[in-house]
Amino acid sequence: MVEIEIDGQLVNAEPGEMLIAVTDREGITVPRFCYHKKLSISASCRMCLVDVEGAPKPQPACSTPIADGMKIHTQNERAKASQKAVMEFLLINHPLDCPICDQGGECELQDVAVEYGSDVSRFSEGKRLVAPSDIGPLIQTDMTRCIHCTRCVRFGSEIAGIMEMGGTGRGEDLKIEPFLAEGITSELSGNMIDVCPVGALTSKPFRYELRSWQMNAIESIARHDLVGSNLYAQTYKGKVKRVVSGDNDSVNETWISDRDRFSYEGLAHEDRLLYPQIKVEGQWKEVEWEVALDYAVKGLKNNILNSRNAQKLGGLASATATTEELYLMQKMLRELGCENLDYRLNVKNLDQTIHLASNIKLAKLEQVDYALVVGANLRLEQPMINHRLRKAQLAGATMNALNVKEFDFNYPVSNTVVSPNQIASTLAGVLKRVLEAKSEKIPEYLSTLTPSAEATDMANTLLGAEQAVIILGEHVLNNTQASSIANLITEIAKHSNSKTLNVSATANALGAQRVKFTPSSTGMNVNDMLNAEMSAFLLLDVTPEYDFHHVNSALSALSKEDVFVVSLNSFGNELVSQYADVILPMAAMYETSGTHINIDHKMQSFSAAVSAPGEAKPAWKILKVLADLLELPGFHYENSAQVLSEVAHQSEVEHEYDSSININENTSAIETIWMHSPYQSDELLRHASSLQASKIGQMNTASMTQATADTLSLKSGDRYLGVPIDVTDAMADQCVFVSSNQATNTGGLS
Amino acid sequence: MISDKAKKQIDAWVAKYPEGRQSSAVMEALKIVQAENNNQLTHDNIQAVADYLDMPGIAAAEVATFYENYNHKPMGKHVIRFCHNISCMLNGADDLIAHLETKLGVKTGEVSKDGLVSVKKVECLGACVGAPMFQIGDQYYENLTIEKIDEIVDGLK
Repeated sequence: MVEIEIDGQLVNAEPGEMLIAVTDREGITVPRFCYHKKLSISASCRMCLVDVEGAPKPQPACSTPIADGMKIHTQNERAKASQKAVMEFLLINHPLDCPICDQGGECELQDVAVEYGSDVSRFSEGKRLVAPSDIGPLIQTDMTRCIHCTRCVRFGSEIAGIMEMGGTGRGEDLKIEPFLAEGITSELSGNMIDVCPVGALTSKPFRYELRSWQMNAIESIARHDLVGSNLYAQTYKGKVKRVVSGDNDSVNETWISDRDRFSYEGLAHEDRLLYPQIKVEGQWKEVEWEVALDYAVKGLKNNILNSRNAQKLGGLASATATTEELYLMQKMLRELGCENLDYRLNVKNLDQTIHLASNIKLAKLEQVDYALVVGANLRLEQPMINHRLRKAQLAGATMNALNVKEFDFNYPVSNTVVSPNQIASTLAGVLKRVLEAKSEKIPEYLSTLTPSAEATDMANTLLGAEQAVIILGEHVLNNTQASSIANLITEIAKHSNSKTLNVSATANALGAQRVKFTPSSTGMNVNDMLNAEMSAFLLLDVTPEYDFHHVNSALSALSKEDVFVVSLNSFGNELVSQYADVILPMAAMYETSGTHINIDHKMQSFSAAVSAPGEAKPAWKILKVLADLLELPGFHYENSAQVLSEVAHQSEVEHEYDSSININENTSAIETIWMHSPYQSDELLRHASSLQASKIGQMNTASMTQATADTLSLKSGDRYLGVPIDVTDAMADQCVFVSSNQATNTGGLS
Repeated sequence: MISDKAKKQIDAWVAKYPEGRQSSAVMEALKIVQAENNNQLTHDNIQAVADYLDMPGIAAAEVATFYENYNHKPMGKHVIRFCHNISCMLNGADDLIAHLETKLGVKTGEVSKDGLVSVKKVECLGACVGAPMFQIGDQYYENLTIEKIDEIVDGLK
């Protein structure tokens, strides 16, 4: 710590830190355009010039390191004169089109111009004009307004990890633009809108909608992944009009993924359910809430309760639901004497489940020196977790990926590509080498195994690392050896003193686990329910063709003549209409209060930013009233916070699980790994049109090797399970990796 | 896209830089590829160079569009790179460029009808002592006059 003087005021600062960081901390205003706290320093805009005593010229605060005894003036005549001069230059080519510019009202240039700009321009020559370019469905460009701060360029190369924007030409001809005709494709691209200090990059879906001062900004939490990025929903007259990122260094720093930023568009989709509906003699009728609830309660009573047959009732929910909703639903089912409940709808075989702890904090991920990613394409599936790992890699960490396909990480990763049935044996090889190195007893099941060269390398790096993490992802969810793979990772971590991160179930899966939204030993899991003789189902936010692994069995189980189905949904769906008897319209994301539990086990609560459209209600309220009408005790909640406090008072129970390990490569069949494209992972996203139009949203390929294609008698141009095939040698044989924006195709999956 | 011969030449430049810094050879690589491609760099050429040097396309494009050495439109067999910066300008470069344009029947940046010559205005080439000057290929021509220019241009084949 040294002492410096800023505008006559004594301030403590670290030697070497940049002056602008100190002034920001002390609340002293220094204007700037190119400086951004999370980006490298370019010192190109010169707006932050200040007067440093002893320096011959004004110095840019963003690139002037602190030294002991410095005396700085940010407001004296010299500083002001320099800032005004810079402002005049910046405005030479800037069009004064603020009235039609979307940035107007939240524009850093506009704000600074008010204070430092002159009211009359001395520039009478022609201004520069830049032809518009289309860089995709998410970002609107008006590059005539660009002031060349290069924040978007630096964001691309430093944070997004792919340099897509760049400065071409020079001098007056300098243009910021992407090189590729396909425009900007990064999964984090929307942050360029936030960092752009002017109206050059603005939100395309929000174009010409509103002024920033017309909207309320309401703090909220994104619910599409395991991070729960902090953000602001900006609302106007009861509608979410735009989403911008919030600041939380322990969660999402200051970035949010495009998925979190643009999903709100789905809220206004025409398929939203606005009124409760009941099916009378095969005909759907919109009715009052009382009628619908009464109908639901009567149906449940007739089908199960009156005959004291709660074992024939099943409760299924999507993991996107809030913790409170899941808690109320399980409480209601259990009060009815029903133990049949599940959220793991996309798991093929629930005898093979993944039990793996997440015991490293998000913020600590960037400090690891070795990461092994198993079965995940992190960039698309968990963008903010990937961002932390990228930071670790840039700081020198070694990265390994054990996948069925070489995925496009935005940092160097050494890929080990194996077929699905070799993942377990590869990890077993790692475990054997670790145990050997620690001179520990080799268990029976490893005795005859010869670790592969890759496994040996992984073990050596793991043992040499100070802090390693092993990450298990979604692609392993339906592996025939899923539980063994998870158990192997637990063992490896235990013996090598590493951390583990379980990203195999996403959204609010941890909330569902916290409230025990899984059957106890007496109940049935989802797949059991689909195969049993059930009499009634209660469904929370379930979209059958995307959510279930066994889509066909699910549809036939739900569509049976004598099965009474109450379905809570936010969007209309043809299949739901076919099998349901009552459809209750529920509030979607941003329309309900609730809590999301993220990978750090952090409970992040949010309030409703807007109320739901039409007659739709928050699901926790619907469930509460349903429970009241069923005359169940203990549902006297006035708000969701009371529900949460009940959840918080419940102790977390460690689940017993099968820790056995079986590494026999027991199948030679071709395995299909079906992943929805990242913008298809929940109902709101599926209705967000701009995301769907983006390159990631359009992803629809079934990747396989030539050998696999030959075995399946497929050739280029063919489809596999309805998905166009992509023959590549950057993946393993014996498997097909589908990344699709279509509904799950059960052809080869059920 | 890039010939084997050009790749060899590029590799020689890459070898001059530390391992992993192959993108430092981008200027020479662009020059080599341009020479092979009728004095012109297309979008695909730039992407090919970027791919070969394992760098983002836009980063190669930034270099290719910053320097006057690279042409983004079809050029003649010979490119006359005429300096129009201060020393040359004070010594009459503008008149000489106008003469050249009339003589060849082209504007700067265009190709003569026979496809032989293009004229391009460039920034200072560091030969102010011999201003006005231009460059054709690797050769500098200094202390230019109308007569001298006619002689040089008429000699181009």
